[in-house]
Amino acid sequence: MLPGIDFLFTALTPFHIALALGGVIAGTVIGALPGLTATMAIAVLVPLTFYMPPASALILMGAIYTGAIYGGAYAAILLNTPGTPSAIATTFDGFPMAKRGDGDLAVTLACLASVTGGFIGAAFLLGLAPPLARVALAFGPVEYFWLALFGLTLISALSEGSLMKGLIGGCFGLLLACIGVAEVSSDIRFTFGSQTLLGGIEIVSALIGLYCVPVLIDMVATPARHLQVSGESRGFRLNEALRISLKSKLNLIRSSVVGTLVGILPGAGGSIAGLVAYSEARRTSKRRERFGTGEPEGIQATESANNATVGGGFIPTLVLGIPGTPPDAVILGALLVQGVRTGPHLFTAGEGSIVYTFIYGLFLATALMLPTGLLIGRYAYRTIVTVPKALLVPTIAFMTVIGTFAIRNNVSDVAIMIILGVMGWTLNRFGFRPSPIVLGLILSSIAEQGFVQGWTIGAATENLMGMFFGRPIAIAIIAFMLLSLFYPLIARRLRFNREEAGAK
Amino acid sequence: MPSDGQRDIGGMAVAAVMIVIGLVFLWDTTNLVDSDSVVFPRTVIFGMILFSIMFIVWNFLRPSGADTEGVQGGSTPRRIGLVAAMLGCAFLMPYTGFLLSGLAAFMVIMLLAMHEGWTRGRLIVYPLIGLAVVLGFYGLFAKALLVPLPEAPFL
Amino acid sequence: MTKLGKLTLTAALAAAAATFGLAGPAAAEFPEKPVNYIIPFGAGGESDITARFQEPFFKEKFGQNLVISYKPGGGGAVAWAQLNKMPGDGYTIMGTNLPHIVVQPLQKDVGFTTDDLVNIYIFHYTPDAIVVNEDSQFKTLQDLIDYAKENPGKTTFSGSGKGTANHLAQVRFDDLAGIKTTYVPFKGTGAAATALLGKQVVAEWGYTTVPAKYQGMRLLAVAMEERHPKYPDVPTFKELGFDLVSGAYRGIAVPGSTPEDIRQKLADMIDEINNDQRFIDRMIDGGFAVTNVRYGPDLDAFMEKAKKDFAAAAKAADVIK
Repeated sequence: MLPGIDFLFTALTPFHIALALGGVIAGTVIGALPGLTATMAIAVLVPLTFYMPPASALILMGAIYTGAIYGGAYAAILLNTPGTPSAIATTFDGFPMAKRGDGDLAVTLACLASVTGGFIGAAFLLGLAPPLARVALAFGPVEYFWLALFGLTLISALSEGSLMKGLIGGCFGLLLACIGVAEVSSDIRFTFGSQTLLGGIEIVSALIGLYCVPVLIDMVATPARHLQVSGESRGFRLNEALRISLKSKLNLIRSSVVGTLVGILPGAGGSIAGLVAYSEARRTSKRRERFGTGEPEGIQATESANNATVGGGFIPTLVLGIPGTPPDAVILGALLVQGVRTGPHLFTAGEGSIVYTFIYGLFLATALMLPTGLLIGRYAYRTIVTVPKALLVPTIAFMTVIGTFAIRNNVSDVAIMIILGVMGWTLNRFGFRPSPIVLGLILSSIAEQGFVQGWTIGAATENLMGMFFGRPIAIAIIAFMLLSLFYPLIARRLRFNREEAGAK
Repeated sequence: MPSDGQRDIGGMAVAAVMIVIGLVFLWDTTNLVDSDSVVFPRTVIFGMILFSIMFIVWNFLRPSGADTEGVQGGSTPRRIGLVAAMLGCAFLMPYTGFLLSGLAAFMVIMLLAMHEGWTRGRLIVYPLIGLAVVLGFYGLFAKALLVPLPEAPFL
Repeated sequence: MTKLGKLTLTAALAAAAATFGLAGPAAAEFPEKPVNYIIPFGAGGESDITARFQEPFFKEKFGQNLVISYKPGGGGAVAWAQLNKMPGDGYTIMGTNLPHIVVQPLQKDVGFTTDDLVNIYIFHYTPDAIVVNEDSQFKTLQDLIDYAKENPGKTTFSGSGKGTANHLAQVRFDDLAGIKTTYVPFKGTGAAATALLGKQVVAEWGYTTVPAKYQGMRLLAVAMEERHPKYPDVPTFKELGFDLVSGAYRGIAVPGSTPEDIRQKLADMIDEINNDQRFIDRMIDGGFAVTNVRYGPDLDAFMEKAKKDFAAAAKAADVIK
């Protein structure tokens, strides 16, 4: 018997279905536009909760959130620009696929993966939320520090050509993220007296700059089409996508579980979930060499993981009152204003009505994402492929400007975005890829906070070594990190030995 | 494409710039009050400088080829024009309001991205579409999402 | 319309005017359109939540929407530096936070000084408090002090950031109690509370809002003049012999060009919300404490004292030179 199954029917009223449908569509569009985030859309809708029953408002917000995380894949695949930070790793293989003419397939694959991830994340939320919430508490500063380092090891995979260049780029990204007010110590660093830099480099605007502006710069320069097109329309390519998805079901499930678990961590979020899942998919795949050149498994891993963070992120939000992700923080705030107190009691029979109605609403929204996602995806693909360059380039450029502004309502961010874009384009000419820089940017504050806090606690308790190397979860992360760094070497060695043995 | 035996001059130049950036940032850390805000960036700076030096030295000792692509064809003036139009849009925004600067940037970039020659039909239709796109997004952001976009002080 | 109908309508209008007690025609005109309320932090934080508490009351009382938007960056400094360049017609207001607006300009040039900001109301504060887990070995503040005396430096407190109310309170209390503890800064109250729940630290320098939001926590003492109504059993530091009354204050500021009568009018409006019992109840239930520091001599005196106290505390905490 599913918990709170009675509320399935509360969730399935026509009003709620309409809310979920509208939310998913709006969310998908919002996620697809670089700079528009789920956080922003949900914050705008908070006043609605004053006029709506809390469960209905939650369904709407959850649907927008789910849709937005999926929508981020479109821009990642078709424009090489993650629409949301969660879709960073989608660009690695999505854009190469689109470039060789498989953009439609990539979008459909992303949709299937997102739905899978969404379902698995919501299932964990439904069945195991109170025990899983403990995961959020087991992660201390040191664990976050090692998690960030684990994310940074992806640099070695992402730097085509020179590893050294990747490492330099990664350090550069880590350093860029330090500009502005230091997260933990409140010192103002590296602004060199400039008001523009005071707010630091905002992650989403940096993503837009580093990924999208270089694409624009090259698009404007040549008359060639932005993406390859095949002659005839091939529809959704749903059968092909289903076949690929079935073949890599293990990857989908593993990535969804990774996404759920990382989603539970309040300090991590969708971008890290996607990166960790990508890294794990790459490590375990037989086609490891093809990752980064348009490998479907890469898209599947990221997209299933980032949609699983939706359900995962709600676990600490609803059980502990600790928001798992930024949109969760806004939703939690709305609940507080409503007078809803979060806690394990929400998952008990008596008080479960809001939470269970909401969770079934989340399932509903995820299910609705399949048809709407495929349709919107196809439309987005067609648009990007058929719109003439003279309209496509200014439209995207305009979107980057308005989107970047809207993140923090700040013109400085727009200027920083464009300058980073020019920098990224130039560095790319010399073999310094944007991805290591972006990894550094995203992971910097997590690594720094974890390090400083871990060091402070370790030094205070006179147990620095034990602090950084003695805690079980930390050891596990370190082991995974070493494994993914050296696995290729070990695998080669093992194969070599086997062949040796076979030859004898 | 990497070509063996050739020194990666461009890459070395970038590495040298990174060393300079590192030194400038390192100097800035000396003005900070709290040691907590110094430890991490200094470690990163040392890493960046170290990797850059290693890259340069290795390139001198064992040139392993450059993966410097250079500018792959296309029109450089158009590239510069695009960046200038976007930057112009950002800098004009506080003075002319978002709508005007956005519209102007859109039209300029449209001219820059036009490779096929203007026909009379395009000359009429494209700017109209541009206007619709700009107004549409303006409406979405300013009215639906309540983003406080800069407004023209004279309107 | 019939004569009778007209009469009734007039009577109803008069009654309505009497109920709302509007003072004169100028006051009746403002606000004619929605008021933009800029929060210098991201959505979902405490500054956002308290603004959201005000929002429905504003709409109910004054018939216009209070449109909340966010301008995060630089720990709030980015927004505050821009405030005085915004139109001063009363339709743009901005949240301000203490000690932020005192400490930041003392650290570096952040584009504004404390005196640049025209605060019109300080509407609440979140009092500092020592928070421990429900199953913690510390039953009273004295238990914690004894432990800290036996283990100098090893008693770790999580808290929100540095140079913040939490941090300054920790430094202050160490001094008052003659103990040495270690303060571990986290990014925001949520992260600090998570660290406490996960037992990464022994206790937290948090706010009275923390146990209202998270499950499984207790307060040892609150830094208020009198006990918090939500926690009648928790003593104040003062009762226990430590002169510590502190917290993070939140106010509302307007651009410098806002005319005097609009400033007064806005202050009246916030004052009206602040004195609505339903608003007070909600705030108290959330763990906040309402303050009524209104534009005028009250606020000037408040700011003078705040500047002096917070600057001294920040110096003691080595946050500023």
